[in-house]
Amino acid sequence: MGAAKEFTKGLWSENPIFRIVLGMCPTLAVTTNANNGIGMGLAATFVLVGSNVMISALRNFIPKKIRIPGYIVIIATFVTVVDLVMNAYFHPLHKALGIFIPLIVVNCIIMGRAEAYAAKNGVFYSLLDGIGMGLGFTISIVVIGAIREILGNGTIFGAQLMGTSFVPFLLIILPPGGFILLGSMLGAMNRLEIRMAKKAGRTPTFRKEHDCASCEIFRGWFGERADEAAERL
Amino acid sequence: MKEILRLCIVLTVIGAVCAAVMAFVDQKTKEPIRKSLSAEKMDAVKVVIPPSDNDLMKDSIVFNEGTPDSTRFYRGMKDGRIVGAAFAVVASGGYAGNIEILVGVDTAGAITGLEILKHAETPGLGSKIATPEFRGQFKGKSIKDPEQWAVLKDGGTFRQITGATISSRAVTSAIARGLESLEAHKAEVLGTAAPKAGAPVKPAESKPVEQKTGSGGGK
Repeated sequence: MGAAKEFTKGLWSENPIFRIVLGMCPTLAVTTNANNGIGMGLAATFVLVGSNVMISALRNFIPKKIRIPGYIVIIATFVTVVDLVMNAYFHPLHKALGIFIPLIVVNCIIMGRAEAYAAKNGVFYSLLDGIGMGLGFTISIVVIGAIREILGNGTIFGAQLMGTSFVPFLLIILPPGGFILLGSMLGAMNRLEIRMAKKAGRTPTFRKEHDCASCEIFRGWFGERADEAAERL
Repeated sequence: MKEILRLCIVLTVIGAVCAAVMAFVDQKTKEPIRKSLSAEKMDAVKVVIPPSDNDLMKDSIVFNEGTPDSTRFYRGMKDGRIVGAAFAVVASGGYAGNIEILVGVDTAGAITGLEILKHAETPGLGSKIATPEFRGQFKGKSIKDPEQWAVLKDGGTFRQITGATISSRAVTSAIARGLESLEAHKAEVLGTAAPKAGAPVKPAESKPVEQKTGSGGGK
């Protein structure tokens, strides 16, 4: 695979939120406005790139059987170091991103990329993978955050967008709204992917990976028309 | 057996190296972090009190030092006269962790400014306690009427944040507590007339401790 592809796959075809569906905890928790999305995204990208490079460099040193505890210790150390250094030397930045840094520990994208990519690939490719995945994550949560902020608060990046007659749709900012919006967006993304795949004459990526047509829910939903629907995937 | 030993050693090495790295970084960053936190606090003090020209770090009084009720008052002076004071209160009833609030008052005991120094409330909901809209409504208020110090939902005068009543409540009651403490020590802190009859001062318990520390000395 080319270097460019390693970088761009995180943006669409293997987007950590909409394609791999990883890191749902920070995604749902912090996306109540667009600014939070940028903060969380950049902080996670920073840690992701660092941990990817470090784990890739150490991949031949860590035995397979203890790789998971090894990765956890390394990632936790990296998060702590980033937190302390940022607090000491980039204090204004820490004030803006500080509340997100402890949340990175529960971000499974970091662990997922370490296990699925950095442990099997060289340092340079792991670096590209980290940057691409981090940007894909950042863009995704900024979009979710922007939609929730506009609908739920009438603002965008903190600036008033809607007029005074706008009644905020509070549900969308509260946790259930996060689930509803994320689910709708996942559905829309799948729909879009089907369209794009049809135009290009290829199989939609999610079908390969998730094998939707053989799923119980898929069959139950479409009933007798399941085979017909599977064709359309 | 040999395999287990090897795994143990590798994991121990990883753990030890990581611990050493963290210890080293912690050691190196401790002082800069303390300095920037203290500078940040001083900047916040300057914002909440009326314009002053003294070194706020040096001119502070602590009451009940070493007890849980310990409060430090930073006094702002202009041309040698006290113009106001600032104090930090900690609200423990927040939604997530403690909320640290810095309150500035003028010589009459009315709030001139309010800054949220530290909080971990839900982003987008409880975090709105830091917005000017929420903080602004405390401006000009004093502790004269204790029943008013509650959010609207509880029959008070302060608008709570929609979806974050717990955070709003915590901030409101913490400020009220701080103002009560100020009322009790008003004479010493602001150098004004004796406190009202309703708030007796117990001199034995609250001896003012004048702090004359160096410019870098915090708490």
